[in-house]
Amino acid sequence: MKNFELVEPSTIDEAVALLDPEDTGVRAIAGGTALMLMMKTRLFQPTRLVSLRRLNGALRTVRTDENGGLRIGALTTLTELEHSPLVAKAVPVMSRALRTLSNVRIRNVATIGGHLAHGDPHMDLPPILLTLGARVRAVSSRGERWIDVADLFLGYYQTAIARDELIAEVDVPLQPVNVHTWYAKFTALSADDWPTVGTAVWYRLESGVIAEARVAVSAATERPMRVPSAEAALTGSSPTVQMFAKAADAAADEVHPLADIRGSAAYKREMVRVHVRRALEHASRARSTEAE
Amino acid sequence: MTIPARFTEPADTTVEAPPKAKRKAAVRREVGRSIPRLESHAKVDGSAEYIYHLRLPGMLQGKICRSTVPHGRIVRIDASAALAIEGVHAVITGEDIRTLIPDPYYGPAFHDQPILAIGKVRYVGEPVAVVLAADLHVAEEAADQVVVEYEPLEPVFDEVAATKPGAPIIHDSLRPAGMFPDLQYLKGRSGTNVALDARVLHGDVEKGFAEADQVFENVFRSRKVVHATFEPTVSLAELNGSNGLTIHTSSQSPSYVRAEVSRLLGWPENRVRVRTAFLGGSFGAKLYIKLEALVAACALLVRKPVRIGLTMEEEFYTITKHGATVRIKTGMAKDGRIVAREVETWWNGGAYADIGPRVSQKSGFTAAGPYDIENVSLINYAVYTNDPPAGALRGFGISQIVWAYECQNDIIARSLGIDPLEFRRRNILHDGRPHATGTIMTNAEIDEVLDRLSDRMHWDVLFDHGSGPVRRGRGLAIGFKACIAPTTSVAVVNVYGDGSCCVSCSTVDMGQGSDTAMAQIAAETLGISTETVRVIHPDTDVTPYDMATLGSRSTYHMGNAVRLAAEDARAQLLRIAAATLQTDIEELEYRDGAVISRSGARMTMRGLMLARFGMQAGTVIGMGTFTPPYTKPDPRTGQSPQITPYWMLAGAAAEIEVDTETGRIRVTKLVNVGDVGCAINPAIAKRQLNGAGTMQLGFTLFEEMRFNEGQVINASLADYKIPGMLDVPEDLSAELVEFPHEHGPFGAKGVGETGMFSVSPAIANALCDAIGVRIMELPLTPERVLRAIRESENRPLESE
Repeated sequence: MKNFELVEPSTIDEAVALLDPEDTGVRAIAGGTALMLMMKTRLFQPTRLVSLRRLNGALRTVRTDENGGLRIGALTTLTELEHSPLVAKAVPVMSRALRTLSNVRIRNVATIGGHLAHGDPHMDLPPILLTLGARVRAVSSRGERWIDVADLFLGYYQTAIARDELIAEVDVPLQPVNVHTWYAKFTALSADDWPTVGTAVWYRLESGVIAEARVAVSAATERPMRVPSAEAALTGSSPTVQMFAKAADAAADEVHPLADIRGSAAYKREMVRVHVRRALEHASRARSTEAE
Repeated sequence: MTIPARFTEPADTTVEAPPKAKRKAAVRREVGRSIPRLESHAKVDGSAEYIYHLRLPGMLQGKICRSTVPHGRIVRIDASAALAIEGVHAVITGEDIRTLIPDPYYGPAFHDQPILAIGKVRYVGEPVAVVLAADLHVAEEAADQVVVEYEPLEPVFDEVAATKPGAPIIHDSLRPAGMFPDLQYLKGRSGTNVALDARVLHGDVEKGFAEADQVFENVFRSRKVVHATFEPTVSLAELNGSNGLTIHTSSQSPSYVRAEVSRLLGWPENRVRVRTAFLGGSFGAKLYIKLEALVAACALLVRKPVRIGLTMEEEFYTITKHGATVRIKTGMAKDGRIVAREVETWWNGGAYADIGPRVSQKSGFTAAGPYDIENVSLINYAVYTNDPPAGALRGFGISQIVWAYECQNDIIARSLGIDPLEFRRRNILHDGRPHATGTIMTNAEIDEVLDRLSDRMHWDVLFDHGSGPVRRGRGLAIGFKACIAPTTSVAVVNVYGDGSCCVSCSTVDMGQGSDTAMAQIAAETLGISTETVRVIHPDTDVTPYDMATLGSRSTYHMGNAVRLAAEDARAQLLRIAAATLQTDIEELEYRDGAVISRSGARMTMRGLMLARFGMQAGTVIGMGTFTPPYTKPDPRTGQSPQITPYWMLAGAAAEIEVDTETGRIRVTKLVNVGDVGCAINPAIAKRQLNGAGTMQLGFTLFEEMRFNEGQVINASLADYKIPGMLDVPEDLSAELVEFPHEHGPFGAKGVGETGMFSVSPAIANALCDAIGVRIMELPLTPERVLRAIRESENRPLESE
């Protein structure tokens, strides 16, 4: 490891000023659980690390905004999210997923901002946030902008966050009534392994018919992504086991899984099929958001 | 036929079946007590010593530059860019080592492994050069800058392919090491990748097959896995005076390190001091020479202390468990008796033999299983390939072998319509019967192991296999191992002027609890409390010779040496008292730091010291040496009347759930039964069984080193997963079968490896019980299971 500069700004303005759009060796570091792995394998050799640990106060909060949505500070740790009563009430699908996200040692230090900014397709929350219609607030010296999570992930470890931007906040909108959600993940190796396949589903019922559906797949694919064909199959249908199987088949046909040590492409395609179907079945049994 | 008497109380020697109840041994105060480990507090508060934490004044850190090709000639090493980096002290290559050590090849079986590569590399990750710098990060950066140019040679990775004519030859010639008596039969060879072919011939296997009613033949495979110890391998060397060297190392075999480093340097052994501390796990990874010769050479070349501590990633390129291909052919009689068994095993030893030949031979001779079979032929090939070297891993190859014979036994039992438990009962090798090597099975409680498995699993109760996508199954397996022979342990028990005592021995406590066991044995013998005994950690300047801490041998061998040493010290104290009190030794007893006579006279420690040394201070030193008998097997037939000091019998049974849509197996219940002779510390012995069972669970379900042209593509704990808490079965239990071994210390046998043996086939047999699918290759990953399910349903998954 070469020498590098470690800076610890105390405001977000200072932090973004220390980022450098020209230098790929400059990165922000929060929990460091992902970045340190890349540094150990020398996939990433920093010239400067901008530590965000002093920004904790402002950016380490979970609150409800004026519209009833959740506002999560980017430096909130995954453990804090796991135990947040606000999260549990608004989006129990997230609380549940957090309990099996990696392990407690990782959750204690990893932050939601880093979890999203890393762009690793094997993360648990991105597919869930995709189905919840979440967005992130990115700040830089040039100002700030909101990016829909749907537009955040561009490719394998590639995000829409510019080199001089930081994620400051995650906004999870208030969910409409009669919404059913579930996240099903599958680990091929140990129980606390990275997911081999992650599937998040979300659908809204109107008079017993699926009025709107969102299906997202991660880990097996190069980036967490919505699966329009599965969503189309569900929309306008009744939530039956047969429909769920049809949607799962559509999802399996649509995705292009990447083969790796956790499974071949063909196997991962099967796991997408099984877990989209199971997630939908679980969602239909899970308590929906309250009816009016 | 008579069976030798073997219990502490007289037993009817004509009775075939062993008694069910545990025989009560003499009343004991220390042995048999589940004392918390002596080092527990130190390990919790962080004060326990580990070599990985050691820093020496003025020390340089070494970073190894490793081969990037699996097989090739070294054309050129250019270290100029590395040397130009500020802070780099030196770059050492194989040629530099040669200026100090003209013949720098080491190894416990063959002198085949260079300290740093010379002329040629034989696996990806082989050490080629070392960069030394005071700052580890500088060394690391510079190691990337060492330019090595290779002329690639054709590699071979598969253990069977490597034995075929025309395969690339990995070593031009082989020189046997000649250090260990059990490896004396190794011969110099050239023009082959087969380091050793070891045979056992018993009866007439061809005749057996000809007479059999049915013959079964299968091939089973296990992939390479790693030890993944939490403390990576580390060694430091420093000059000791004008002509000596001290090596601090995380080693299981300090006595061997001293001997081998001395041999390399051409020095007498007394100029090399080797010391160890607690090891953060080991499991066979830290045996023989790992980094010790390298740090020793570096320290002598630069005349400064040198430390090399591996990263977890580098562990994958240092030592592994053997991958193995086992072809097993079994002839059956109509009545469900095995009449002939032929086993041919190819052991993937990687680029350097390490202890592979012993793994091959020692596990190989048990390859027919703990069964009474008239006609047996076993052949084992220790094979060189261009993979990282393979050595010992908690069981010396036994689990690869049990995987084959216990899976096949289930295949046969199912095919013949015999209950798997009953099938084993019909065939087991009872006490007093000769094993295939000719050695009589004694002190081996295989019947009892089966009984306990049956009880724990409620085997005779109908089992619910479930319905829907998740199916349930149960399976069992038994296995055994012969403890290594011949080996020696020496111990010293030092009783001080105040009656307190230290045990000096070179057994390494690497997490198995040996300090506590040795203290219990010394305390029992001396009539004092275990908690007051101190065990001195291995330091070859202080602690006497021990073969090594391996193969579940320490409790039996070192335990006996410690017992003998304590008895010697006690006898000396009694002699002092007898002379002073003018009485017979038989009248005296030593207890709680004093000698007491039957007539009531009492001599305290102070009194004993005064009598012996003329003042109230001094020391009494007891010594114990233990070498069990052994007869070298006939190299042609593998026959020996005395091939092992004791047999270790094991059984495991599992209940599983298999998700037929994903192929994922969940082990809901795992029972591990071990025949331990007598547990010195029952709680620790049970934890050994459960710990080993959990470790083997990882090897069974998902652990596997994945290679691409010799490169390990999952060389980190991020991608090579080991079991975590959530993988541990909800119902995990261990059971000790305790019949005192006639020669064990207080009846004890070893237990460190026992829990590994039978777990994999028990789970594979449960899988077959659940869904009728048989998988012959480890690990049983979800994809492998799902593919097998889909094959059986005639709708296979696409291959890619």
